[in-house]
Amino acid sequence: MDVLDLARTQFAVTGSLHFLFVVLTLGLAPLVAIMHTRWARSGKPLHEQMTRFWGQIYVINYALGIVTGLVMEFQFGLSWSGLSHYAGDVFGAPLAMETLVAFFLESTFLGLWIFGWRRLPKWAHVACIWVVTLTAYASAFFIMVANSYLQNPVGSVFRNGRMELVDFFALLTNKSLVFSYPHVIGAGLFTGGMVLVGASAYQLWRRTQDLEFFTASLRTGVVTAGIGILVTISFGYAQFAGVAEGKFGNSGLAATALGLMIESGQYLALVVLLGMWPLVRSLHRRRWAHPILMVMTPLPFALAILGWIAREVGRQPWMIWERLSVADAMSPGLTSGMITTSLVGFVAVLGLLAIVDYVLIARAIRRGPQRLALGAAADADEPRSPALSY
Amino acid sequence: MEILWFVVFAALLAGYFALEGFDLGVGLLLPVLGRTRENRDRMVAAMAPYVLANEVWLVAVAGTLFGVYPLLEGEVLFGLYPLVVAMLLSWVLRDAGLWFRRRLDGRRWRGFWDAMIAFGSLGLSFCWGMALFAAATGFESPAVHPLGVLLGVVVSGLFALHGWMFLAWRTPGVFGGTRSGRALLVSGMAAALPVVALLAGAMPYLLAHSAPASTLNVLSLMALPFAPVMVGAQVWVWRTFRPGKDAVRLPSFF
Repeated sequence: MDVLDLARTQFAVTGSLHFLFVVLTLGLAPLVAIMHTRWARSGKPLHEQMTRFWGQIYVINYALGIVTGLVMEFQFGLSWSGLSHYAGDVFGAPLAMETLVAFFLESTFLGLWIFGWRRLPKWAHVACIWVVTLTAYASAFFIMVANSYLQNPVGSVFRNGRMELVDFFALLTNKSLVFSYPHVIGAGLFTGGMVLVGASAYQLWRRTQDLEFFTASLRTGVVTAGIGILVTISFGYAQFAGVAEGKFGNSGLAATALGLMIESGQYLALVVLLGMWPLVRSLHRRRWAHPILMVMTPLPFALAILGWIAREVGRQPWMIWERLSVADAMSPGLTSGMITTSLVGFVAVLGLLAIVDYVLIARAIRRGPQRLALGAAADADEPRSPALSY
Repeated sequence: MEILWFVVFAALLAGYFALEGFDLGVGLLLPVLGRTRENRDRMVAAMAPYVLANEVWLVAVAGTLFGVYPLLEGEVLFGLYPLVVAMLLSWVLRDAGLWFRRRLDGRRWRGFWDAMIAFGSLGLSFCWGMALFAAATGFESPAVHPLGVLLGVVVSGLFALHGWMFLAWRTPGVFGGTRSGRALLVSGMAAALPVVALLAGAMPYLLAHSAPASTLNVLSLMALPFAPVMVGAQVWVWRTFRPGKDAVRLPSFF
């Protein structure tokens, strides 16, 4: 592989890893916020357990979302400085909004939510998870604004050798954005719903002691997955109005990924909407269905990656559609040695951490909602040391 | 407008050093003050509620760099290529250590991730010193320069001192000292001193390379209205987790 292929591989691998965790964050954040709100209103132990259990899955998943995201943000400067030279005045604005406002608030309020248990007033604590949800969605929005600019460069003119921003509003109403953003959000909800479904099916299959807990989680998951896939599919088809002509004509990989995503997405929608939705009240008793539901859990993740492959590989050889090629966007002077070293470092470290994270999530699901670390009372599992010992 | 955004950029970068400086400092001190697992738990629990609110300042710095100084973003990050890669990997390992250390119960599991926190904090602190030196010399100096290494040692030392001051403020007496909030403020300013000096020197260059007015106007219109919320959220973090009874709650999530 030459330097360009290596740099593209690095972005593709780290970006895909990042999105695997982001897509679940987008799905779980609103669910945890709703669970927390219900707990604050009802005070029921079941709602507290749901908030803490799914909240814990959410934050374990979030850890990898952060660390993979850091690598993404800095990669623009490391490998693709040609992009900021050519279009930084335009492309940089939504990225700055994402990091400076949306993610800044998301991270600050997530810290308050995780460590504010039993410290913050009840409703202030609930407000934190809602701000986290809102800013996560704002983050996704600004990232999609930036990405849509690459797909369809609007709102800017070419002046003095660079792209200059003339109409920010045009960036926000980009025809490549207005349907793809809801498509991504739908995919997030579908993924979040299916994780609730898969995890609950596993516990029910094992004849869990927490029957009420996982029955409720299964129902929430089925309803959410149904809403999610409806949104995903309708906005998925609507997107074709905004796709550049010839986008999927010259790339075998992009067209294959697109076809595979659409085909399997449709079958999944049939299963969810015609199979799971009508059975939502009784699915927890139907043991024959539980292994099927478990096997379905990874599918939304795979489809999400296929979607990004279609969108990003389909854009090749352009970094900015018909304006700037990826070859011209690559940092001048980037050598094969530099990119190989960083590629090996990032892929090895992030890949291993991703595996560890998934093992931890699987383990948290297997342990169930007893003895949760998130929101645990002080000294719940520590040997109590006398105050005078230090 | 260029001056306003320079102030924002400088405040974010200096704020990162003053705030994340003590998290990295506590990480550096883990092998020194945290000989027992209980002490390491207390040290991590002391900084845990601040980490997410502190490290995000650097994410905002990078975003601002892209939005306000697009011509410099590639130059700076690419000019520091090996350092930036090393810093990212250190940062990732430090964060992974914090998130993972308490997810399993085993002694070796927690010991391994505690080592990653210390190792990542050291790598990040040390490379910051080298990066400041490289930036001050306009990326012309060789990758490893004696003065850069010296600055790496200085920055790591300042962070360690700041981390110790933070522990003495938040957990009075537990790690051998009791310090006031004012002392913590002073050590924070000391931790930010090297980067403030660099920013002061680079000011004319940064101002000359700002994004055009149209971009800065959009950013001002979109970002500045949120400034009070962002400041308010940070203040809320400090009010919620201030020292006092129950300052270090165990078990902490990290």
